[in-house]
Amino acid sequence: MNQFILQQGRSRELQLFPHIMELGIKKNSSIQLHSLPESVTENTRIYYIIEGKFEWTIQQQQYMLYPGDVALVLPGQKFGSEKGFLEIGSLSWIHINVHKLESGEMIPGKWSSLSESESLTIGKILLLNNSPVLSKLSEAGRILQYIQHEVFNQEIGYCTMVNQLIDELFITITRHLTRQNNSGRDFPKTFLQLEQALRQNLSHQWTVEEMAAMVGMGTTLFNEKVKNYSGFSPINYLINIRISEAIKLLKKPDVSVTDIALDTGFYSSQHFSTTFKKLTGFTPSEFRKNNLPNN
Amino acid sequence: MKCIITIELGTNAVRVFAFDLGGNVIGSMKGYYPTFHTEPDHSEQDPEQMFITMLYVLKNLLNEDIHPKKYKVACICFSASMHSVLAIDKNGVPLGNAITWADNRAKKEAQELKNSPAGKKIYTATGTPIHPMSPLLKIAWMKNNDPDRFNRASKFLSVKSYIIQQLTGEYLIDYSLASATGLLNIHTIKWETDALEFAGITADKLSELVPVFASAGTLRKAYQNSLGLHADTKIIIGSSDGCMATLGAGIWGEGKATITIEDSGAVRVVGKKVLQDEKQRFFNYLLTEDFYISGGPTNNGGIIFEWFARQFGDFKNPFGLEHSMEELITEASKVPVGSDGLLFLPYLLGERAPIWNANARGVYFGLNIKHERQHFIRATIEGILYEIYSIGKILEEHRTINSLSINGSFASIPFCTQIIADIFNKPVSLRQDYHSVGLGAFLVSATEMGIYKSLDEAAQTVELPDNYTPQKQNHAVYSRYFSIFERLSTKLFEEFEAIATLQQKNASDRGTVVNRIQK
Repeated sequence: MNQFILQQGRSRELQLFPHIMELGIKKNSSIQLHSLPESVTENTRIYYIIEGKFEWTIQQQQYMLYPGDVALVLPGQKFGSEKGFLEIGSLSWIHINVHKLESGEMIPGKWSSLSESESLTIGKILLLNNSPVLSKLSEAGRILQYIQHEVFNQEIGYCTMVNQLIDELFITITRHLTRQNNSGRDFPKTFLQLEQALRQNLSHQWTVEEMAAMVGMGTTLFNEKVKNYSGFSPINYLINIRISEAIKLLKKPDVSVTDIALDTGFYSSQHFSTTFKKLTGFTPSEFRKNNLPNN
Repeated sequence: MKCIITIELGTNAVRVFAFDLGGNVIGSMKGYYPTFHTEPDHSEQDPEQMFITMLYVLKNLLNEDIHPKKYKVACICFSASMHSVLAIDKNGVPLGNAITWADNRAKKEAQELKNSPAGKKIYTATGTPIHPMSPLLKIAWMKNNDPDRFNRASKFLSVKSYIIQQLTGEYLIDYSLASATGLLNIHTIKWETDALEFAGITADKLSELVPVFASAGTLRKAYQNSLGLHADTKIIIGSSDGCMATLGAGIWGEGKATITIEDSGAVRVVGKKVLQDEKQRFFNYLLTEDFYISGGPTNNGGIIFEWFARQFGDFKNPFGLEHSMEELITEASKVPVGSDGLLFLPYLLGERAPIWNANARGVYFGLNIKHERQHFIRATIEGILYEIYSIGKILEEHRTINSLSINGSFASIPFCTQIIADIFNKPVSLRQDYHSVGLGAFLVSATEMGIYKSLDEAAQTVELPDNYTPQKQNHAVYSRYFSIFERLSTKLFEEFEAIATLQQKNASDRGTVVNRIQK
């Protein structure tokens, strides 16, 4: 195993890859104090454990990492070792500079060949995920190896290869993440997780593809399972939640109908009004008038 | 052509059925709503989402199956899960979510009341076992632990009362659902003073009492328009899901009982008299002024087999839980009756009837070196059904039971139905194609409309074939094992308490550690 660390701005190898901030592989054979203090990261960091046992803290939570495990640290998250040093063992990693949008969604740069909706979905799933450690993902180790190989050998087409491999790394991690959260043994539990994610971010314009990806399923199977379990198509189920939440807000006098519409994920107050009336027979304003005090 | 619609506000979903006047199902749909467990003992549902889901499903059914076929909806009849409580403020706006039957937050209140002389008196008067499920104890809990909500509440409703109020504007509760609140005197059909006092409320905080046949007012104009229904569509208040299921199960008259097993389970009988039980093991709910539905509920029904399937089932193929459960049943059927002496106490969720012990826990007993994986599968199923039998057996101390009618997704698995017939040594009838809660609601509606002279006559029309006959030699094996099962179920009382205490302590200790170390 050849150890190396390439850093953006210092290493010639990364000149054509401005989005790769760091790429490395390290066999740590002795403990050096203050080699890994906790700090806030600016980039997306992906670590793959090759040998040894690491105890890391990501966002105030402690995790044990074993060979084959992957740690995913997102921009703005606090990461390091509580003891301040890197433990004995081997690991490889990549740090990538990913754009962070205002809404909190992450999108990769122009180098990526992911479509806009694919990268939005991936970004959303990575952000909503609350377990930054993925166990037994040797596939990620393999991809990191290929990236290193391509960067060093610079064979024809290597630029495209490296960027595709980074895309592949993100896709692999995202798929693993959604499957890790959903064993398939328990659709009711899966559905509950989905329901929670929808509620947490009701104003988002959810697509069926996003919802399916969230629980690690293909769209067709997802549609069928949701319909079977809930009696509704995924989108209609979502409308259910939106209207129910809107009703609660309409019963409070201090939120405007337009705000309610947008907060609960309708495009406009017109869209809200039409959907609401179709189901309940009342427009939102009529409904509010009927339910507020002294009416 | 006229039709009757029934709406069941169940534990996980609303189910809407449409019947023609002959009692044939002409359409059905369901819609799921979630249960929230914000704390371990809490179990809540969002009344607005239940309302919207109900409206959505009803509208879809009307638009797809009823209006295109030119049916005119004569009436809509409701049923709902028992024991729910929803506090509303003076404007009728819900104060938080509805608390469901499965909520255990009132454990302390229940224990205190149960061990007091007042508890015994209230049980005798109200027919509802003193248990955290009971609205009586939930309201008392709110008084003690959530005084802000308690004081702001202008009324305490059942979810069904709320939903009907949204549709028509009236605050009503039927005798039947009211008899499951622990607050109604089932002998006088008035709110019970002692119970109200314990809950800390007066009768005006509850809905108005009406019979199950009562009209719940007129559908608001807006809903008439959005649903495409006429102003003369009768809204019938109906009953609870348990009572409707019993009515629809065809067990009217002497010598019959019905067994329902979904996630949880119950054994029920119908009669004109209350079952008085010294040990407070039964519920006695009113269906009408003339009929009581009595029986015992278990926590540990199909949900225990689902637990088993999740842990030990095969998930190599993509078909998920149902497929895995089918395979387990096939494997279980290859094991001899009685699982070669492996017994299972299914108390993973504590237990209600007959032992009423929240600390009870699961036990595999009698394990020897020859037992294999498939013995566990069969023993698990047999254990769930022995538990059902133990309820049936104490009911038989009060009533003669000659035959059984089965419903619910777990009990109606043919393998399970046969075991029930064998354990009870009684013929069992089962109709795969119908839903007893919906049918019960149809019978109430049809009686109200004058199609039947009385509920008695309506109930007699439900005919069920005896399609499972008990096998004598199997019964002999099961009864020998059951007597050990029965002894075990009470023998471990102290050990159950000790392990439950340790588990609770462990869980609260871990709560702090888990936050630190995720792996």
